[in-house]
Amino acid sequence: MTGVSLKPRAPFEARVDLSNLTPEVTGPLSLRELEHREVPCGGRSLKLAELFFVEGAPDGVLLVEIGDVRLDGVGAGMSKGELIVDGTVGAFAGRGMSGGMLRIGGDAGDFLGAEMSGGRIELAGNAGAQAGAAGSGSRRGLSGGVLRIGGHAGPRAAERQRGGLITIAGDAGEGLATGMIAGTVSVGGAIGPLAGRGMKRGTIFVMTVPELPAGFIDTGTHELVMLPLLARRVPELSAMLGGWTHARRIVGDTLMGGQGEVLAGA
Amino acid sequence: MILNGVEIRDTFAEAFPMVGTRLIVTADTPEWALIAGRTTTGFATSVIGCGCEAGIERTLAPEETPDGRPGVSLLIFAMDFGSLKKVVPLRLGQCVLTCPTTACYAGIDTGKRVPLAKTIRYFADGHQISKKIGDKRFWRLPVMEGEFVCDEDTGSVDGVGGGNFLILARSRGQALKAAEAAVAAMVQVPGIILPFPGGVVRSGSKVGSKYKGLFASTNDAYCPTLRGTVPSQLPEEVGSVLEIVIDGVSFEAVAQATKVGITAVCAIGAEGGVVAIDAGNYGGNLGPFHFKLREIMQDGAGETA
Repeated sequence: MTGVSLKPRAPFEARVDLSNLTPEVTGPLSLRELEHREVPCGGRSLKLAELFFVEGAPDGVLLVEIGDVRLDGVGAGMSKGELIVDGTVGAFAGRGMSGGMLRIGGDAGDFLGAEMSGGRIELAGNAGAQAGAAGSGSRRGLSGGVLRIGGHAGPRAAERQRGGLITIAGDAGEGLATGMIAGTVSVGGAIGPLAGRGMKRGTIFVMTVPELPAGFIDTGTHELVMLPLLARRVPELSAMLGGWTHARRIVGDTLMGGQGEVLAGA
Repeated sequence: MILNGVEIRDTFAEAFPMVGTRLIVTADTPEWALIAGRTTTGFATSVIGCGCEAGIERTLAPEETPDGRPGVSLLIFAMDFGSLKKVVPLRLGQCVLTCPTTACYAGIDTGKRVPLAKTIRYFADGHQISKKIGDKRFWRLPVMEGEFVCDEDTGSVDGVGGGNFLILARSRGQALKAAEAAVAAMVQVPGIILPFPGGVVRSGSKVGSKYKGLFASTNDAYCPTLRGTVPSQLPEEVGSVLEIVIDGVSFEAVAQATKVGITAVCAIGAEGGVVAIDAGNYGGNLGPFHFKLREIMQDGAGETA
């Protein structure tokens, strides 16, 4: 593979913030300039070369060879290019992304893909809390792009999601899609309590109907043309919705005047 | 030029610019898709009286449609974009939305946007739901039957309207048989519609009238029963004339359909009662598109004498 690879020199002693190190930033830099690029680390600023062996040729692809839970902000603010992490990352990975591709081979910490508006995140493992959610003090969560979680998602994933697509292959923690404004989230596994609380619009696809807040109303099972349309046009949903022609439609959160929906395969 | 005993007259069809769009309408069965298509493109033979010209371009197999159901592809043309923006939502709302099991999708991605659900979604009285997939937004409108799914809008294209040719035959029956053969061949050409009943016009018109306020009137030069009373274009042996009008998404599509249609007529030939092929024009002053029959048929089927 061509591109720049970062290989940690030693286990990190403090949290490292890589949020200013995206492919579009590293692309125009020479290897030497990159080595001298400073990144926040535990309240200090260190040169990248003090933390990593920096190798390769900048061409838009950035590879972090060994991940670490102390690596925060990986791919945050990315707008193009590709960033690959062979392992686990910390918090805020892909936060505010507007384009490009972020692949994470392990798990991710909290706020994965929070407030992202475009691009694509592929997470092989589990995500921490508030994946695709709004950041602290922010009104809107993920509003565009695709966030795929190969494992489980922690609490309050898709909180205040505004658009785009989140797929969770495993289970989702409590408070999934709390205050969801629009968009689509699918969950292949079990769902924790209070999913969809305060939901205004948007769709949650589930395999079985979870325990929902009191403001959700079961409208029954319906044949929906939208199901095959989504299965054909959205590759990320085709595996889940491929055989669906009918779905049980539960609308909410009506206590908040919401018109969101939970669609369960029937 | 003579093809299989049929004279190809040295003239041209004069056509004019139109703005068109394509809708993909699907339904649970091919029959209901066709019903929706026919209803939506009904009363759309001529912009003069109908506001648009429309037709079924072709039927679509399930694997060709966005939702995997059988469908039809419809083309709708108007004289300008403003008119198109008005007629399409009207026909969508009255003829597709109302038709059982249908859904409606954009058939053209490029060009100025023609509103679909963007306009008619308000029928749902606040219960409409949108779903954005990639760059496209779909709307779901709850209806008594279930749910109507529709693209927010569709694209448009600068098209060509009023391509035509005339079939001059010995009898009404022979003219009709030749016209039917032409239509059967022409509907296979992509990107065109034949907006008149069954693809055929028996009442071709000329521009203007002796009566005030009439923009068009019977094309008396081609009316067999007036031969001798008006300057006629019909030789003695011609007893009936039928016209085929073609609208298309491009000059090339209309030219191709013209060629295919005339070839089919000429295959019937003089033995089948076809005397000549002519075309309607206005001296070249009305429309910028000229389909010269002999040039189009230069490398066509049949003998050239």
